[in-house]
Amino acid sequence: MTDAFKVFFDYVGAFFIVYMIGYASFLFLSVSVGSSMLYKLKRQNRLKNELTGDYYVPVSIIIPAYNEAVTIESSIRSMLFLDYKLYEIIVVDDGSNDGTSQAVKEAFKMKRIDRPIQRRVFCQREESVFESYEYKVPITLIRKKNGGKADALNMGINAAKYPYFICVDADSVLQFDSLSKIVRPVLEEGNVIAVGGAVRPCNGAEIKEGKVISYRMPDKILPCMQVLEYDRSFLAARILFDKFNGSIIISGAFGLFKKNIVVDAGGYDLNTMGEDMELVVKLHEFCCEHSMEYRIRYATDAICWTQAPEKLKDLCKQRRRWHIGLFQSMISHRKMFLNFKYGLVGTISYSYFLFYELLSPYIEIFGLFSILLAYIVDLVNVPFMILFFFIYVVYSAVLSLTAFFSRIHTIDLKLTLPDILKAIGLCAIEVSFLRLILAWVRASALIGYKNKKLSCGEIERRKIDFK
Amino acid sequence: MRVEFLIYIYGIVCVSMILFNIVYNIYSKQNERWLKKKCIKLKKQLDIQLNSIRMRGKIEQNQLEFLRKKLSHINNLIAFEKVLSGEFNTGHSEEIKVYLREIKPVILYLALVYSQKETMQAGYFTHFISNFAVNQNMPIDSLQDILITYIKKDNLYCRINALSALYHLGNSEHVIKAVKAQDDGKIYLNEKILTEGLLAFTGSHDELIKGLWNNFNQFSDHTKLAVLNYIRFKSGNYKEEMLKIMLDLNAEKELRLSAIRYFGRYSYEKALEHILNFARNTDPLMWEYATVAVSALEKYEGDEVIYVLKRAIHSPNWYIRYSAAQSLEAHNLKYDALFDIISGSDRYAREMMKYRLESRRLRMEGEVR
Repeated sequence: MTDAFKVFFDYVGAFFIVYMIGYASFLFLSVSVGSSMLYKLKRQNRLKNELTGDYYVPVSIIIPAYNEAVTIESSIRSMLFLDYKLYEIIVVDDGSNDGTSQAVKEAFKMKRIDRPIQRRVFCQREESVFESYEYKVPITLIRKKNGGKADALNMGINAAKYPYFICVDADSVLQFDSLSKIVRPVLEEGNVIAVGGAVRPCNGAEIKEGKVISYRMPDKILPCMQVLEYDRSFLAARILFDKFNGSIIISGAFGLFKKNIVVDAGGYDLNTMGEDMELVVKLHEFCCEHSMEYRIRYATDAICWTQAPEKLKDLCKQRRRWHIGLFQSMISHRKMFLNFKYGLVGTISYSYFLFYELLSPYIEIFGLFSILLAYIVDLVNVPFMILFFFIYVVYSAVLSLTAFFSRIHTIDLKLTLPDILKAIGLCAIEVSFLRLILAWVRASALIGYKNKKLSCGEIERRKIDFK
Repeated sequence: MRVEFLIYIYGIVCVSMILFNIVYNIYSKQNERWLKKKCIKLKKQLDIQLNSIRMRGKIEQNQLEFLRKKLSHINNLIAFEKVLSGEFNTGHSEEIKVYLREIKPVILYLALVYSQKETMQAGYFTHFISNFAVNQNMPIDSLQDILITYIKKDNLYCRINALSALYHLGNSEHVIKAVKAQDDGKIYLNEKILTEGLLAFTGSHDELIKGLWNNFNQFSDHTKLAVLNYIRFKSGNYKEEMLKIMLDLNAEKELRLSAIRYFGRYSYEKALEHILNFARNTDPLMWEYATVAVSALEKYEGDEVIYVLKRAIHSPNWYIRYSAAQSLEAHNLKYDALFDIISGSDRYAREMMKYRLESRRLRMEGEVR
């Protein structure tokens, strides 16, 4: 029996060595490339290697809103401070029952209008349309029957007048220069069909008229850890994927798309919880199948501030939704896996998301059970295990801090000493505890998800004090 | 390979990353301090030279050698630009203009030095030139020739900044050379950037357009489009030429559409019948021509124009209907004249027309407030 266990644990050990080396190498590569790119970008800006003229690509900003009465007004107001001339704002109220439409109508003097909307991609019919021309740019409010976020975004695409659209979450705020920064890749390269913006937790930041007045680490521990996690996992990895046109996620909170291509590809998928990822994977698939030359870019300096969940319950809901979305996207585009027709997206990006994102919580939990089992049968070298765990924590923490400080330094944010100490202290806790909790949440996300359809619970919103 | 070995490697790399972060942070803080010090030193030098200009009308002789030596280094050039900007904004613009004219030989020397440096630094130099040297009316022929070499560099920003410098210098001959040079297919330059740049040209637009037109056939379609768009914004004297492009079946679609748009800005009787033909065309493959033509008809009067627009608003194509409603609205027709559409049986046409009229009312109300 002991021999059988030994053989089993030999295989498990070999598997984890390969798996961990793969992950460690990826993390290392992404943080190194990410940091060096951020420094390069800073040097580029210092040497004025940037587009400074008034070049405007017309953009429609689409804000899907469901029960966002608390945040919608400040969110729209922040969009009126954008340092950009040619854009419109379209708010799609997806059948809210908390007075979201009423809040928008009253705040922005909206007038009802009979507006025909072209059905280019499928969505529920509009119930009423309101417009306002009293501000810097036209504002449109479309009230429709509830159909989910993807459905609301599709409605926004149908109503958009301009050739590019941006989707922005209703609880997010765009930095004043974010629009000019996110369209820059479109002007720099001729074949850009989508650009992802950088989403950052706004907890702790004071923002006035779209500008950051002061920045400090959030007071609460959970959002603080998410700040570090965002930099390590999202920022660094996305910069790396961008290097080989391999980005398959553009956050639903802030992304720019070429409307015609999105329409030709069928718009947002109504049957997935991760409509943002699904759309990007679909665009890759569509362009590869039609032999189109295309680029999907990531703009690190186009910044959107968003609320990170402050309660563990809300964070779990958010991550559960992300994991289900990831699963659905990967399943519906499984033919891309290791298919050379889809280039590096099908091989590197898909494989990474499959093994290190979708399956990782199961592998992590399997690893924990293996350790427990090995301990029971006395096959664990406890001091080595503790040493190994320590190395893992230090390694992850160092990478988190590298990504975090690279971002802070390159965008000239100033942190106080307590904030620096907070970041150093919390990064170890984040990798040791939060990561494990979220692994469990993600692992259990798929249990019974079909019965829940597209609902994963609402996240509590608080009014953001965007001045 | 032993796993421990890998762990050690990664450990070393991690420590290196931390060290890099710390060193970089210290370096950038030092750099800021150094830049401030440098600015103070350069400002002292500049004040002496500005005094010399006030007293003797020229700078001191050793200044040129000093600047040649110092400004060959990028950090000094950055500091120098900061000092110049500060002085310029504090009311010493006239003296600065004289100063910049006096240091022409240094600028020429630097143009050669930076053309040999890496493209990012070359990009900064062209930014400096477009910001100062040329804004202060110091056309130097040889500098313009050197700027053309910057346009050939494989750096988008270097090209844009160099083009911008040439636009400010206002010499059409050099701008035409530059437009040709950037059209080498190596670096993509969005036509919007090119058009906007040409519009910022400070010399005679008529001369520039004439020169560009004479070289038109040598440009790629991409550059041709930028040039056509530029002409549309600046001159109504190219109607005959635009008509030829509009009717040229072998010309690229975007060029023909741009030519139709030209006639939406400058009405031309000879083009009207052709525009009406585009608008009448119901071939689904020609919808883009029809849409742009219908928009262009906004500029033309006459019963036939209104008749064609009223027919177009019944088109099965959403964009044609939208443009037709827009053009009809622009004709400021009375309610009676649009009655057949507003109370007609075609729901799509009716909705589109009503929407345009209503949104015009809202826009006007918004403007009044």
